[in-house]
Amino acid sequence: MLQIQGINVHYGRRQRLFDVTLPVLEDGDILGLLGPNAAGKSTLMKALSGTHAYQGNILYKGKAQGQYGPSAWAKDVAYMPQSPPQESALLPFELLWSAARALKLALTDAELRALIESLLNRLGLAEVALAPMHSLSGGKRQLVGLALALIRNPRLLLLDEPTSALDLHWRMVVLDWVRERIDHQGGIAIAALHDLDLAARYCNKLALLDRGRLVAAGPTEAVLTADVLARVFNVDVHVEKGILGHPLVQVLRPQLAPKSSLTALTSPSCSIK
Amino acid sequence: MTLALQYRRLVLRRTVLFAALVLALIVSLLLDLAAGPANLDLAHIIAGLWQPESMELRYRIILFDVRLPDALIALAVGAALGLAGIETQTVLNNPLASPFTLGVSSFAALGASIAIVFAPSFPWLDDTFLLPLCALSFALASGLVVLFFSQAMGGSRENVVLFGIALFFLGEALTAAMQYIGSAEAVQDIVFWNIGNLTKAGWPEVAIVTTCFLVILPFSLRHVWVLTLLRAGEAHAGSLGLNLNRVRFWVILRVSILAAFAVCFVGVIGFVGLIGPHVARLLLGEDHRLLVPGSALCAALILSLASVLSKTLLPGVIIPVGILTALIGVPLFILLIINQKRTH
Ligand SMILES: Nc1ncnc2c1ncn2[C@@H]1O[C@H](COP(=O)(O)OP(=O)(O)OP(=O)(O)O)[C@@H](O)[C@H]1O
Ligand SMILES: [Mg+2]
Repeated sequence: MLQIQGINVHYGRRQRLFDVTLPVLEDGDILGLLGPNAAGKSTLMKALSGTHAYQGNILYKGKAQGQYGPSAWAKDVAYMPQSPPQESALLPFELLWSAARALKLALTDAELRALIESLLNRLGLAEVALAPMHSLSGGKRQLVGLALALIRNPRLLLLDEPTSALDLHWRMVVLDWVRERIDHQGGIAIAALHDLDLAARYCNKLALLDRGRLVAAGPTEAVLTADVLARVFNVDVHVEKGILGHPLVQVLRPQLAPKSSLTALTSPSCSIK
Repeated sequence: MTLALQYRRLVLRRTVLFAALVLALIVSLLLDLAAGPANLDLAHIIAGLWQPESMELRYRIILFDVRLPDALIALAVGAALGLAGIETQTVLNNPLASPFTLGVSSFAALGASIAIVFAPSFPWLDDTFLLPLCALSFALASGLVVLFFSQAMGGSRENVVLFGIALFFLGEALTAAMQYIGSAEAVQDIVFWNIGNLTKAGWPEVAIVTTCFLVILPFSLRHVWVLTLLRAGEAHAGSLGLNLNRVRFWVILRVSILAAFAVCFVGVIGFVGLIGPHVARLLLGEDHRLLVPGSALCAALILSLASVLSKTLLPGVIIPVGILTALIGVPLFILLIINQKRTH
């Protein structure tokens, strides 16, 4: 169980997250974090990952995040930052190897080799495993970032736009895999996403941020409504039930009129737990 | 071919390259011993190293009291600068960084110039001892100032670079001031010290620099995983629960010590700490298990070769090695940059 309550985050003196409380997340949940650019999605992810200071409560299995200590937290929690690993002459294989060793995973060399190999195969990275990072395409580099996050067999996945650079096939494969892991091995995932179709498809809960504040949160169908989306994203949308059973959002046009004043949307079906 | 097998081949290839570098280092050391004014050829040198008693006394003195310490200090200083260089570049994520980015070199020069200018006023002080001590303490002090100020301001790598550059210019300005008040003779000594020169070293200096390198190397090796991870960027390295500020603290402390000891006896030898890591990265890849020792190895090799050249380029003249490292370093550096652009 993961509780995220009243999170405030500052960069220097500027506050960028204001009292953000997310629905309580249970084993098996995938929460989609939505919101316009600069809403604070990545900032919230950094706070959750323990790489940025915050005020508020993050309780995981009833224990505060601070009580875990950075290395214990990192062993259980996979955080994939928004920007992919930087370009360098490092090889994906070496990167994963060093990560496992830095995390002090209890694996023999042979076991680790097998683990890395299966991870790379699964993410379609086998051919580029020994190619320098600077020679990889943007999407492949993003997949390496995902492999790095998943090397530790985490219980909690924090994925910051994990599929933003991926093609149609791979974004499905990646999120299918996340869903499958969560369904079979348990655990919780939080993914920041811009693609509403993916959010509707893979997330059972959604939270919408705008300018550092939580605007709406709850089950996917309750949050993905024309009204909410129109207000937060400044677009005219049409929402219908898609052939796969989840909401299908069709964007009609961006709104030209200035944004309506920001008020938290509180309909009974769309509230914060 | 499986991935594991391919990787093993890659590692094998790199290990062979590493071994080749070690071999090249030995050859360069021998060449360095054979180069110089006295008539001592390579066969003579090898025989003398093998059986010192077989050598004529006069040659034995040249070999063991002059050539060997000079050749070995080149290796020790090169290795120290190479090790410091790779750690600085990785931890500051900046291919242009070198151990001297922390202002260490300009403060060493300041310490040396203070010693040179004021030593005549204290005739009872032994200035062969005073000069390196001043250079060392000023260099260490500048490294520590950068370290503590940047940590106090949050420890980011930008802060380290900014403080380092600020101190670099401060050291330059104060050294210029010392030259202004110093006698003509003192100014000449300061300039000469600043160029970097291997020929004044003796066995104690060799022992001190070597010890410094050997003591620090294991600590560097303990950080190889983190250093490798840093090549993926700080966000990703940080996502693994590593305390990067603490890593930076230790790295900068190590670099300050290494650079200070490296320059205090032989003066500021530029470019070795910058080029060594680049050459090593090109040959050995980014896995810091091999790259950290490899960078020390490459820098030692470069400085040793420069030392050979300094004695053989102009017959009868020993060019200060600092001039040569810069002359070789600049084109090499440009070549590396061009090569990097091409592969990117
Ligand atoms: N390192 C930083 N220093 C200062 N301000 C920052 C920093 N990172 C983010 N911000 C600010 O915090 C706010 C939230 O940024 P954040 O990156 O969390 O947005 P986001 O929702 O992830 O946006 P995007 O969809 O573009 O990724 C923005 O106003 C941004 O300018
Ligand atoms: Mg973001």
